[in-house]
Amino acid sequence: MTPATLTPPRNEEHTAPAPLRTRRRRLSLTPYVFVAPFYVVFAAFGLYPLVFALQLSFTNWKGAGEARFIGLDNYTYLLTSPEFWASLGNSAVMWLLIVPVQIVGGLAAAVLLANARLRLRGMFRVAFIAPFVTPLVAMAQVWIVVFDSDYGLVNHLLRLVGLPGVDWLTSTTWAKPTLALLFLWKTTGFAVIILLAGLQAVPSDVYEAAALDGASRRRQFWSLTLPLVRRSIAFLIVVQTLAVFQMFAEPFVVTQGGPYGSTTTGGLYLYNHITASDLGTGAANSFLLVLLVFALSLLSVRLLRSRDE
Amino acid sequence: MKHKSLSQPRPGPLQYVFLAGLAVLFVYPIWWAISSSLKPPNEIVRAPLSFSPGSATLHNYQAMFHDVPIGTGFLNTVLVVVVKGALTMCFCPLAGYAFAKYRFPGRDLLFGVLMLTLMLPTLVLIIPLLLQMSQLGWVNTYQALILPGSIDAFSIFWMRQTIAAVPDELLDAGRVDGAGEFGIFARIVVPVIRPGIAALGVLTTMNIYNDFVWPVVAVNDESHQTLQVVLSTLAQNVTGNRIGADFGSVWGELLAAGSIAMLPVLLLFILLQRHFINGILAGSVKG
Repeated sequence: MTPATLTPPRNEEHTAPAPLRTRRRRLSLTPYVFVAPFYVVFAAFGLYPLVFALQLSFTNWKGAGEARFIGLDNYTYLLTSPEFWASLGNSAVMWLLIVPVQIVGGLAAAVLLANARLRLRGMFRVAFIAPFVTPLVAMAQVWIVVFDSDYGLVNHLLRLVGLPGVDWLTSTTWAKPTLALLFLWKTTGFAVIILLAGLQAVPSDVYEAAALDGASRRRQFWSLTLPLVRRSIAFLIVVQTLAVFQMFAEPFVVTQGGPYGSTTTGGLYLYNHITASDLGTGAANSFLLVLLVFALSLLSVRLLRSRDE
Repeated sequence: MKHKSLSQPRPGPLQYVFLAGLAVLFVYPIWWAISSSLKPPNEIVRAPLSFSPGSATLHNYQAMFHDVPIGTGFLNTVLVVVVKGALTMCFCPLAGYAFAKYRFPGRDLLFGVLMLTLMLPTLVLIIPLLLQMSQLGWVNTYQALILPGSIDAFSIFWMRQTIAAVPDELLDAGRVDGAGEFGIFARIVVPVIRPGIAALGVLTTMNIYNDFVWPVVAVNDESHQTLQVVLSTLAQNVTGNRIGADFGSVWGELLAAGSIAMLPVLLLFILLQRHFINGILAGSVKG
């Protein structure tokens, strides 16, 4: 761990840039030149398309021909469309299958990995993070093969122990959990590392003091560890909420949104507007999705805060 | 990482079992995919668990190379990784340096805007970006794959955190020696934060290499498709023609394609895993 790359979260205020007298004397253009490339790229390929999308969401444009202003029609269409709500519902179910499992399981693994007396720590860390670096599309393909109803590895194993096979990807009951499992497999290692960083920012003498005071290990976890990694948990919830509601590549490659639309997530439904050249509706859909994700992120951060403070 | 604490208990066998179980779950699918890709096609279906190195074959790889333009995909990905990665590696540390070590009017506002863009999901930009590309005549071009998102806010934020830890005295010493503003950055800051730069390099390479959503939208002709897009077309052909297909050979191709796509990033990861994990640890400062 190099000191240059690890700054504990709580020290952010201390590492804030200290003004140097030498540079305050005259107004220099240098820092503006240094930061300019980002804002140029953002203005061209971020801000401009954003304004464009807002405009587009009030038209009936299909990608060709005249765009006609239709006011809020795209928004009212979506908000009254069962398909739109179904896509959000699918994403919400995915969220429930993914986020709580990942936080609880990830925290358990991180607490164990933070123990300095654990052997093979480095090996465990590498094993956990390996899925995170594999390309999602490649693993999504592996999922198709592993979870096939007839010849897949998982059903093969189930039959070996005398259990019936399951239609993992072709039944509306199991398709969502199977995709959720892919997401969990891919990103839980990342969650563990984030939580580990939070845990390691907790000075060990805090625990020693608590142990001296006679606090039990369970009590130490609830009243010391958990509040101290709260920021990491909040960060994870926000990041994963964004990711789950935008989930696209997993259903796109593995199930194409099926069976019967049961894995058409918010992200995939949005993509379908593009293939249908329904660009005005698509733009409106993306803004509704972003609003929802923002609201959910804020809500989860709020809930997490009010419980402890 | 050196939190030696006497109050920490020695982990029990159950805890090792839990961690080892998780580790197997995480690593086994990767191992299974790579080893199965080397099996004769009928074996993949008939005996998914067994693997005998003796009967290893490159048959699936040959079939896959024959069916999809994976070589072109690779070259396109390499081109995008190199150019887009270079943009990130040049401009993000520089911007991070300005935010960390200069005080200038509008800095907080500019930084606030930067942080806000972090919250902007890619998906909201996909449709208008696509239209913008067609207005510019950039659909199916390399610049469409490279420029959008090339200098990203997260990398700047991360570099700012890293550079903030560099002592100001070091910079002042350089200034006394008569180094120019850029010279101080290039000759003093960059060498000091080399581990952070290496981690940024690994993370950037992986992100660009694995990127899928934008490439699949921005490019639809085979000659410009990146590796991940080529892979996804293979998967769609397969699931599209399920009925009556010879599962063994189809899966063999899928697994071969998946393995070959995984290999470069896995190797890079194994070589630089320390930097990479430390990089994520540092990035999590964001929370």
